Amino acid sequence: MEQKRTNRAKLFSPRYLVHDFIKATAAIPGLIWMRPRWIFETKAARKRIRGGALLIANHYGFFDPMYLMFAVWYRRHHFICGKEFFESRFRWLFKQFLCIPIDRANFNFNSLREITDELKKGSLVSIFPEGHINEDGDNLGAFKSGMVLIALQGRVPIVPVYVKPKAHFYNRVTFVIGEPIDLFARYGRRPSMSEIDAIAQELQQKEEELKQIAYQKRR
Amino acid sequence: MSRTEIIEKLKEILLAADDRNRDKVAACTEESRLVADLGFSSVSMLYMVIAIEEEMNIRFDNVGASDFQTLGDVVSYIEAKLK
Repeated sequence: MEQKRTNRAKLFSPRYLVHDFIKATAAIPGLIWMRPRWIFETKAARKRIRGGALLIANHYGFFDPMYLMFAVWYRRHHFICGKEFFESRFRWLFKQFLCIPIDRANFNFNSLREITDELKKGSLVSIFPEGHINEDGDNLGAFKSGMVLIALQGRVPIVPVYVKPKAHFYNRVTFVIGEPIDLFARYGRRPSMSEIDAIAQELQQKEEELKQIAYQKRR
Repeated sequence: MSRTEIIEKLKEILLAADDRNRDKVAACTEESRLVADLGFSSVSMLYMVIAIEEEMNIRFDNVGASDFQTLGDVVSYIEAKLK
């Protein structure tokens, strides 16, 4: 029987002390600066994310991880980032912000295990499936299919989120939260590589739909 | 498990994983290069490792995708793990 996945992260823990302190301190200035607006794709998307989940989002700039922390503010995010960030002098900060380093040039299989272990523990892992900051303005880049494998291995749903950043300082930041997609429930087995590629394209299409929602509801 | 048995098992796993290049996989040998000859990407490499771990009950520790250049490298790694 499938074990029920729950978020076992403690509300207060020394591990999260710096993370939670910075997050709490930055909350009010962040809210004033962003004046965020949440749009939910469906009624199901409005439900809070409980337990393990893989959050995917578009990647426009360096501050996107911060935007995501506001988009799903009630959870701690584990971000997947390049190992080069862990080789900089800010290594300590990345560690405090629960980042999981990966070697993009030579992907180590232990990194995959580290990510899926976090998901199985009930954590929220956030990833930018374009793989890098998108320099092409509003157009989404091709999604890499690795995230599909990660979600399947972690047996967690994928939650698509679109972040519409500010065009001017007086604009609001819009978050469009999509309905969770449970691939494990859909397939019940490991899909083939061609199915995985098709799922990655489907998720990119979903992200496009969320983007349309964000732009339609512009004021 | 002999090297021939391992390579046969690998072929079985690869055929189940991806039906787009059946001919290439069916004809592959230990010398076949994973990227250049079999058209592997980093994701298909991951997929193969996951499938091998589940089917052969072994663990790929401290190795990266580019540590395996040919199918023979994968066979040698599995052989060493099964000993």
